[in-house]
Amino acid sequence: MIEPCTDVVCSFWSILNQGPMTLTITLHTLIILPMIWIYFDEKRKMEQGDIPNE
Amino acid sequence: MENKPSVWTSNRFWRRSATWVTGVSAVLLILLTVDSMSQMQMGTAKDIQNKVDKRIPSPLVINYKIDYQLSPKRGHEVPIIGGMDANGKSKYEEKEKFFGRDDYTEEEARALIHKGKLTIQAKNCMDCHTLLGNGAYYAPDLTKAWLDPAWNVIGQGYGGKEYAMAAFLQNPPAMAMHERKMPNLGITKDEAKAVVAYLKFMSAIDTNGFPRNFGKIKGAVNARK
Repeated sequence: MIEPCTDVVCSFWSILNQGPMTLTITLHTLIILPMIWIYFDEKRKMEQGDIPNE
Repeated sequence: MENKPSVWTSNRFWRRSATWVTGVSAVLLILLTVDSMSQMQMGTAKDIQNKVDKRIPSPLVINYKIDYQLSPKRGHEVPIIGGMDANGKSKYEEKEKFFGRDDYTEEEARALIHKGKLTIQAKNCMDCHTLLGNGAYYAPDLTKAWLDPAWNVIGQGYGGKEYAMAAFLQNPPAMAMHERKMPNLGITKDEAKAVVAYLKFMSAIDTNGFPRNFGKIKGAVNARK
């Protein structure tokens, strides 16, 4: 998935952007995974009655 | 059965998610901006001495021969400054006279290119032409105009393509090459020289192969026969 950098000035971002999907998957991981974690965390708290139902 | 509240309808859940998404995106944008800034910085004379390729090279490239070759590794054409070594990289050795000189100092070259840029802005070339992706497509894309082989042919009658380009800029209708004729914009001799310097400098910028298909245009560099 990660291909060798072919950019003029190589950086973390250019490596990430080389292979198809790499940047997309990384960014989704950074945003979707925390959201899943927040979802279950909030659900647990609600079921425990820690959060009043708005 | 107890009616459990759904987390999807909880304001707190959406507030927390929005904060997370905004926060992560902001950090990413800042990191990407810092990364882009370092890549957009103009190269220096030292880079040329050390034969280091920069996306935007030092103004001193106007002293060198500039070529445009297909890079099999990157899959598009890249500027080659001062000839090519065995690995297809710039060598920074082959000089080329630009208006009779190949010893412009960094200050001189920078001043010339800057004047050219100001002239291009003052004459609003982008009204018709495209520069680095900005502008209109009424007239030819100027991003790699310096590398257009047509100038090599026309330049023979002028003692060099820079002279031909400068002569054209000063009185375009007299040297019309296309159906759509460029108007006379009152560009002076000094301004024309500066514009040509700017175009030569710009042809050395690594634009990830932009404009696309430049090499495939009939008569262009590496044109498909």
